Amino acid sequence: MTTIAERLRPARRFAVESPIAGPLMTLAVVFVLFSAFVPNFLTVRSISGIINAAVLTGTITVGITLLMIAGEFDLSVAPMMAMGGFLYARGTAEAGSVPLAILLALLVPAVMGLVNGLVVTRTRIPSFITTLSTLFIYRGIVWLFSGGQMFQTVEKYLIYDIFNGRLAFLNDMWQGANFRTATLWLLGLVLLFQYVLVRTQFGNHVFAAGGNPGAAGAQGVNVRRVKVICFILSGVMAGFAGILLFSQYTTVRIATGAGEELKAIAAAVVGGTALTGGSGSIIGALLGVMIISMLRTGVVLTNLIPADNFEAIVGVTIVGAAIFNSWIRSKA
Amino acid sequence: MSMSGNGGDTPVVYMEDIVKRFGTITALDGVDFTVNQREVVGLLGDNGAGKSTLIKVLTGVHTPTKGQIYFEGQKVDIPSPQVARALGIETCYQDLALIPLMSVTRNFFLGREVTRGFGPVTWLDMPEMDQQAREALKDIGIHLRSPREKVGKLSGGERQSIAIGRARYFGAKLLILDEPTSALSVGETHKVLTYTLNAKERGLSVIFISHNVGHVYQVADRFTIIRRGHLVGNYTRDEVTENDIADLITGEREK
Repeated sequence: MTTIAERLRPARRFAVESPIAGPLMTLAVVFVLFSAFVPNFLTVRSISGIINAAVLTGTITVGITLLMIAGEFDLSVAPMMAMGGFLYARGTAEAGSVPLAILLALLVPAVMGLVNGLVVTRTRIPSFITTLSTLFIYRGIVWLFSGGQMFQTVEKYLIYDIFNGRLAFLNDMWQGANFRTATLWLLGLVLLFQYVLVRTQFGNHVFAAGGNPGAAGAQGVNVRRVKVICFILSGVMAGFAGILLFSQYTTVRIATGAGEELKAIAAAVVGGTALTGGSGSIIGALLGVMIISMLRTGVVLTNLIPADNFEAIVGVTIVGAAIFNSWIRSKA
Repeated sequence: MSMSGNGGDTPVVYMEDIVKRFGTITALDGVDFTVNQREVVGLLGDNGAGKSTLIKVLTGVHTPTKGQIYFEGQKVDIPSPQVARALGIETCYQDLALIPLMSVTRNFFLGREVTRGFGPVTWLDMPEMDQQAREALKDIGIHLRSPREKVGKLSGGERQSIAIGRARYFGAKLLILDEPTSALSVGETHKVLTYTLNAKERGLSVIFISHNVGHVYQVADRFTIIRRGHLVGNYTRDEVTENDIADLITGEREK
């Protein structure tokens, strides 16, 4: 006969060993509490709204989380997102070439990420300082490229629907639903990055580079190369976020994405990624983004505090989740 | 001076008349150093005596100003740590050995992962690596609860032993242990010393660097003592006592 403790052992193992156990529990608690006590929270309209609000930050968070696990930060994602948005916008609407638009919208931010990576790995200036500088520099480049003006179009190209159109067949099922294709792109990317992280040699080296660069180097891991690739991927994901953004709103500004870098870092931490590197999960980061987005909607729906002031609640949650995650880890 | 080893005629390593200068400072001034096959050599010396410089010359971190290195009888150049490793020289540094947040298996195979796949698309073969790591560690007497356990949860002695097991598994001929017991409890130290002897039993040669004469004395067949960049001498265990060694390190007494 097995005791209850023995039967619960797999659950306990999961709780203390899986990096996503903490964020999963937080998500469940937030979801249940809001569903029970906040009117109109548990509706298709609210849920699809929560998901849509999370997609752009989520896309950026995927790249940032990978980079944080490798032990580095990227504060310069917002102008890279804007740059991707402008290139994609003008490529599709002005130049009329979809492949060229997508290529440039991903390639230019990739090069910006490469520059970040090379500066950090060659000069050993901390990435926090390096990317704080390039945050302003890249914003300047966006300003030059855009001529200081926002860009918008009223054209409706098929590609916009492919990247961020309405999922009509789902939305027809429920009134008020607004599910979009961008969610599927994000889900696909999350699964791809998670797989690369935990099931490939490169992913193994990402953990090693962030966990103990000296030991990784001593075992023949090219730590610099791994970090540079992560910086490039962070840029590519920011560029892709720009593509998703413009496909939905068909508007892009110089200030597009401002503040996204901190939201993404917050989401990664809420999702169980260590600020010190070497530990984390892409799926966890997605849960982190969802937790924050759910809080925003939930708090707004309660009408207890003004909607503009929801950021304070987010701040409390980030600290709370970080404490919770480290408490769970200490039980391991 | 005695040069007796345990079997095998050609020394694994013979370093001849090694001189290393950094600017005007002479760190090593004509040191000879030998490690025979299946021999544990204790390399002893005070801080700044030149122990680590000598080891860094051997592992390709420093290029000697003068002198030759012979590996298994062949004259070799060791311009980089990669070359040293390709020859079969593995170093286990205390802090630079393992990554605490990663599992035993992932640490064991780090940089030499077993993958499967088609063409450029490859993925980690975790079951295979788990099994190989478990068996390789069992082979030198280390029994793990699970190879998926994070290294950070293991004791200091277990961590050292994993680094030793890994070096052996990947075909190291010469294992360099740099202060392997300096931060360990008595029990843990005993384990590491046992694994060191196990590694020797299975054909490895070992250079054991330590400040703790007592620890070295328990495992080394021979002691090489250097002081201020010069070789003081080589002594087998039956030639000297622990106290003799301590005196030779500090220069209290010449033998």
